This record gives sequence, structure tokens and C-alpha cells, in this order.
Amino acid sequence: MSEASQFEPKIVAYVCNWCTYLGADLAGTTRLEYPANVRIIRLPCTGRIDFNLLIKAFEIGADAVLVSGCHPGDCHYTAGNYHARRRWILFRELLDTLGFDLRRIHFTWISAAEGRKWQEAVTRITEETRKLGPYRELYQKNGFQRPNAPPPPKPPAPAKTNAAAQEQQLRETCARLLSEGTVQVVIGYGVGGPVFVRRAEDAAKLVWDAGCQANLTTYLKRKEIKRLGKAAVVVKGCDERGLVILEKESQIDRQTLRVIGMACDGMGQPKCDTCTVHQPRFADEIIGQAADTPPEATHAGALDALMQLSPAERMSFWAHEYERCVKCYACRQVCPLCYCERCIADKNRPVTIDTSATPEGNFAWHITRAFHLAGRCVGCGECTRACPAGIPLGLLNLSLARAAEKHFGYQAGMDPKAEPLIGTYALTDKEEFIR
Amino acid sequence: MSEIISKAGLRELAKEWIAQGKAVAGPVQTKPGLVMYAKLASADEIVWKGFVRPANSVKEFVFPRHELLCTYKMEGNRVELANDEAEIPAQILLAVRPCDAAAFPILDHVFNWDCRDELYNRRRGATTVIALACESHDESCFCTSVGLSPQAERGSDVMLFDLGEEYEVRCLTDKGRALFAGKTQPSERTAPTCMGPDPRFNPEQVKQFVDGQFTSPYWQEATLACLGCGACAYNCPTCHCFDIVDEGNSQHGERVRNWDSCQFAQFTLHASGHNPRPDQGSRQRQRVLHKFSIYPEKFGEILCTGCGNCTRNCPEGQGMLTLLTGIEHA
Repeated sequence: MSEASQFEPKIVAYVCNWCTYLGADLAGTTRLEYPANVRIIRLPCTGRIDFNLLIKAFEIGADAVLVSGCHPGDCHYTAGNYHARRRWILFRELLDTLGFDLRRIHFTWISAAEGRKWQEAVTRITEETRKLGPYRELYQKNGFQRPNAPPPPKPPAPAKTNAAAQEQQLRETCARLLSEGTVQVVIGYGVGGPVFVRRAEDAAKLVWDAGCQANLTTYLKRKEIKRLGKAAVVVKGCDERGLVILEKESQIDRQTLRVIGMACDGMGQPKCDTCTVHQPRFADEIIGQAADTPPEATHAGALDALMQLSPAERMSFWAHEYERCVKCYACRQVCPLCYCERCIADKNRPVTIDTSATPEGNFAWHITRAFHLAGRCVGCGECTRACPAGIPLGLLNLSLARAAEKHFGYQAGMDPKAEPLIGTYALTDKEEFIR
Repeated sequence: MSEIISKAGLRELAKEWIAQGKAVAGPVQTKPGLVMYAKLASADEIVWKGFVRPANSVKEFVFPRHELLCTYKMEGNRVELANDEAEIPAQILLAVRPCDAAAFPILDHVFNWDCRDELYNRRRGATTVIALACESHDESCFCTSVGLSPQAERGSDVMLFDLGEEYEVRCLTDKGRALFAGKTQPSERTAPTCMGPDPRFNPEQVKQFVDGQFTSPYWQEATLACLGCGACAYNCPTCHCFDIVDEGNSQHGERVRNWDSCQFAQFTLHASGHNPRPDQGSRQRQRVLHKFSIYPEKFGEILCTGCGNCTRNCPEGQGMLTLLTGIEHA
């Protein structure tokens, strides 16, 4: 017997309690035969299926995964499947960027009356997976390390802003806000790191130069800073986008927070090549005027180079990169939008994400981090800048941002009126991948 | 009189070691602008010059970030435990910075104090440390403040000094001599002494401050910029805290040891929800206290080699040096 005929694929099916599970049940009671390769896991609703479960199934040896629930409009909880659909659209793109084999991940809508459809789906998926063979590429390095280097960025346009004049105006503004008592602390850039200015006479500690790379809005979540009282924060155009999200998610109160926006012609970071918001838009005080022609809105070449590779090569690329991850969580801590008091990575009863810095633990963490930022990440690039191991973490976020734009015309943090991407849904969300 | 080896000769020797099945690790250009210690696939990968020091520490090769302690299997009432008996191959850490090498004797104390840590000692025993004296330093370096120097021999089996076309080889232990026996030539040349960074603080003064000023507002003030990640501790040659976790299910799994850091809120979180170190101020204070008071009182030396990796790796440009130099003005 050849290996192909011996191979019996293992398929894990996450199904909703109300439709697909009953559909599978109906298939059984009506004596419809289907391959015994499928292991059914019943969950309340497709909207309740954590994406980590998909990954977990592959880790413990599944060759394919099926997610199935009620047809649109049939959800027992009204809209769970609509929420699921929107999330899967983005999650598939993330898995694609990571190099997962999308031919092994299936989505269907199967109602309680569709025993025959269940039979057909399981038969089809089993046959397809049998042809694909065992899933051996998961988290594997096949020697491939790095995609072709993207073309070097164009030299920056001559700066139009006058940094020295901006710095002077920044200090004056902060001294005024502090002496008026409008705020108790100004979170700004100092020499060699952030400073927290609390007296008007210390305003001279604030600087504005090429070293002002950090996104200071991340300090707004910290209780050590909240204790200091009403705050003003110094932001660039890119950082300011994060404030739009934070306000939408009720994390900041724009009535009390003062925002000092600095016009910026780029800080020489990779993200600056594609930045379109050199001029702050919503800040209470805007200092300086950036060059008025935004750069060509081309996306970073590194992601394009990565996406030209085969899925197995992409996975190999990430496996090499994540090999250096020691789980210091600098990426999480610098992110202004990672504000959970207790991160899912720290939950240990039960453990959702292995704390070990192994391929499993590292992939699980980076997938989770990226996906929790889907439709939220504003591309400030702090994760990449902070990583001591030089892992291009922002690439995953960029791929999700690109997916959000492609599928939903959504750009996080650009429009203060836009509803959050995740947490809402539209009846028109595309579902060509759901069979 | 000194012993020298040509640079090409040392590369050949490293190739020989790899061919013999020894694991050889050294500084590798991970990507443009980033040098990290890594296991070498070939001796040509190693970068000898052109950087101050690797971004990570070499402790990982003796105290890995993730280490299997034992495996378990459960069936009914029967539990089967098995230790990891995998053979540890001889390993050579090549072109290690003196501030990394000096961390090994410091770690030895901790892993041999109230009990002998078998896993650590097994790896340590299989390791030969070949340090390369520093020729440059940057504003984050402060080895001279903690009693070391760019040529410090502590923890090394062999010290190498760059002479241009050759390296001067000083074998300090039998382990080191065994590797270089018959491979070096006598010479008249010896390396000039390289000046390290100017001392930046006085460790005695630091100890007095941490012992006497536990409740000083300085700790809160000076650590406002700390975001609470583990980049400092995980890249520190001497930080050695770990967490023991079981990973698996009700039938089988592993008990593993993973790095942990006192900068995480979870590190001291009680099951009740109480956290005795509730903010970054108290966590950073703990780090200084451990390095400059608790450990010195127990083992008679400072738990810091002045490598400056905490500062270099801090996303917000903080680190030990920022905190310690500030004490003078506190």
C-alpha cells in the first residue's frame, strides 16, 4: 500500500450548537454515511470560537480544520455568525501572511435541516485533505530565511518643519498648560527618553528632534502616570491615530486629556516612508506645519516581498524570526492599544497561550497579539522598534491593516466617526470563502 | 612572551571544532544593525569586529530560556515521570564579551547554593568560554563601575586579544589549554591595555541608598518611563529568575522551566489578587536591590557585569545606568 492510501487525515470540526451540530446529528439519524475522519467539537456559536482554537487543532496534529455554523440570518443569538464572518475574513489573511496552508481551513454554513450538506462537506474535506497529505509544514523551518530585501526607501523630502522653532513653541505651550493648571503633567520627549514634566519651569526638559520616535500615548494606560493627574501628551500625526481608537474604546477622556500635536516630516523610521499623516488633525494644540504633499501611499516593500513567496517559505521565514523571540513582551508593553489589565498571555487558569518561548508558544503569542489588534492597529511601528531581537512584528499588523482596507475600506484611527471594525458587522460582508 | 594564533588559524580551528560535533556559538549578524549570540552553522558566520556587543546575552547557552525538566504520563491512577536524559554536547562559546563571561561565576553561585541544579551544571560543565577582549565601548557600557574591565578574565577559559592579523591567546584554565594545545605560536607581541568607560557610579553608594532609602520617592520618580517589559532582564547576562510550568493535558505533558522577570506584574501576584510590588517603581527597586544589596550580601559580589544591555534594549532608553547614576542626585 502506498503512503497516500494509508494516510487517514484528522479533521477537527468546530460547529455551533444550534445549526451545524444538529445538521450532523440529522445526518446520523438519517443514516447518511460520511468519513469517520472528523472530530466534532460543539460550541455555543461560531461567534464564540476563539481563533486560537484553530491554531491549537493544527498543533496537536489536525490535518484540516472546519468551522461551521448557522446560515446568515439564522443565528440563535441573532448575529453571532455575522461577527464570526467578519473576523474570519481578517483572520484568513493573517494566516496567509504567516504561511498557513489555507487549503486546510474550511468554513461552511450548515443548518439543522442540512444533514446531506454535512455529509457532503465532510466527504469533500476528507478527500481534499487526503490528497494534500499530512500537514507537516506547521512551524517548520525549511532553510528559507529572508525574502528579497525591499528596495531602499526614497530619500526623505526636504524637511519643511523648523524643529528648533517647534521645540521652543512646545516648551512655551507646556509651560502655559502647567502654570494655568489645565494639566498636572505633560508627557513629552526628553533627552534619552520620555519625560514627565510637572512644573512650568521644567518645560525646558522637553525636546523635539530626530530621537522623538516613541509613541507616548502608551503611557496613558499606565496607572503610575494616571496617578499624576490630568495629562497632556505630545504626539505626532501617526501617534494621534491611536488616540482616535482609544477614545472609541472608552480608554481616554478627550474632555480632560490635552493633546499637543507636532507636525513631523518623518523620523527616519521604516514606517515613515508610507506615513500619510505628517500633520496632526485632532490635537488641541498643533505646533508647526508639515510638508503639505503626503508621500505616495505605497505599502511597505517588506510585506510585498514576503507575500510573493510560497506559503511554506513564509512559514519558514516566521519560524526563523520567532526563533529569536524570548517573550520579553516589549511588543505588548509599548503598544498603546494593548491596554488589557490582564493580558490573555498572562492568564494561567487555564493557560491559553503557552508561556514557553517555543515555536508553539511563540506563534500562539504573535498570532494573538496581531489579531487582537486587527482593525485597531494604527501602524505606529512601536512593536518593531521595541523588539530586542529585531523581529519585524509590524509586518503582521500591516498585513491586517491592508486586509481591513481591502475588504472593508477601513483605516484604523483615520476617521473619528467610523465604528470599530471588529465588534460590528455588515450584512454585505463578503463570504466567498464560506461554502 | 605570549602565545598567538593567526585569525585564519582560529577560523580553521573553529571549523575543526564544529566538524568534531561540538556546538559552537558566537556573535552573528542577525540582520543589518543587529548582532546577536547564536549557534553557528559554520565558522564563517561569526562577526569579530564592528559592534560594541551583541544585543542578547550568552547566558542562554547555559541557562536556556526554555528547558525541559521532566515529562509525565498519566493513566488511571498511574503516573509515570521521566527526566530528560538527553546528552549535552560539548559546547564552545567563542568571541564572548568579557562582561558576558564574567556572568558565569556569578550564576554558578545561584545554581549551586542551597541545592545543586543538575541541568545548569550539566550545561556549564560542557561549556568552554573563549572571551575576546573589548576594543570599544559605548555610552551604555559601565563594566568599570562594577569592578570589571574590557580585559577582565573572570569566567573565561581563554582570553583573546586582537593584534591585527593575529589574536593573542591567554589560556586561563585546563579546559581552555586543551582546546588550544599545539595550535598557537610563541611571540613577543602582547596586546596593549584598552581603557574602558569612565566609572559612572559607586556601587557602595548604590548599596547604601537601596538599603537605607527603601521608601524614597526616588523609585517612583525615576521609573515613570518604565513600561514593564522584560527586555532588560531577558538580555541581562546575570538575571536568572525562572518560572516552572506544566504544559500538556490530563494524559501527558511536560514540566518546563522558562525565564521570568521581576519587571512583570505577574511575577509577584498572589493568588488572592494582592500584589506586594504593585507598580514599576517597586519592581525596579527590587531589581536594583537584588543586584546591589541582596546578592552581594549573600555571595560577596555584585549581580551585574556592567554590559549595558538593559539600556540598549530598553524601548524607552532607560536601564540600570539611568537609575543608578540618578541616585547621586536623589
